[in-house]
Amino acid sequence: MSSVVIAGDTSGTITIAAPAVSGTNTLTLPANTGTVLTTASTFGGTGPAFSAYQSSSQTLSGSTDTKITFTTEEFDTNNNFASSTFTPTVAGYYQVNSSIRVNTTTTSIRMMIYKNGSKYKIGTDIATTCNNGFVSTLVYCNGTTDYIEAYANIGVGQALSASSSDTWFNGAMIRSA
Amino acid sequence: MTLYDKIMAIYPQLTDNDFITVITLQNDSDGKGDYIAKWEHPTLAKPTVSDLQAQLSNIASQLQALQRVA
Repeated sequence: MSSVVIAGDTSGTITIAAPAVSGTNTLTLPANTGTVLTTASTFGGTGPAFSAYQSSSQTLSGSTDTKITFTTEEFDTNNNFASSTFTPTVAGYYQVNSSIRVNTTTTSIRMMIYKNGSKYKIGTDIATTCNNGFVSTLVYCNGTTDYIEAYANIGVGQALSASSSDTWFNGAMIRSA
Repeated sequence: MTLYDKIMAIYPQLTDNDFITVITLQNDSDGKGDYIAKWEHPTLAKPTVSDLQAQLSNIASQLQALQRVA
């Protein structure tokens, strides 16, 4: 197998090797400056992803912005979800989504995504008889200190429906920084 | 009796819209309970801790009165 070896700028080498099959294979580089991705690179398709749901029912006070607790993880690829908080350790743009359902209809529901302890985006915000709310947004996280939580405000205080299909929080990196 | 209930007992004139626009009650699910995160009402003063605690005493007194009647 043929190969081209390039000495590293400081130490080590870079090896470009031909595949171990017959025939002609051409590697064409783009006519502009950029960085070649490898399987070790972190980009949207391999960034952190998580999904969790409420398995132990949480009772919310009426008219109070309350952090929703998610007690069971379905997956957490990079161990970035803990205490119902997503703190990704890879900088990038994340799609996050959350939904709640109440056991008995309420007079209003407002669903929110909080970033670093402050209200970031509002999803469902209705003031009529209802029983579920949803929020979805794109958010940048710096990979060190930024953290994301789901909050809800319901008009009539009561317990949430604790199940994987009713009260959940998930997200994934869709673009690297 | 929740924080919302206590505030409504003190200021029954407050509306649902007030709790969206000028007042925010919050609970961070950290075991510390509900608290007033924002109070920007143009005319009503933010209730003090003693104002809120007094509501519990009022409820207790009312319960005792009801028990005596029963």
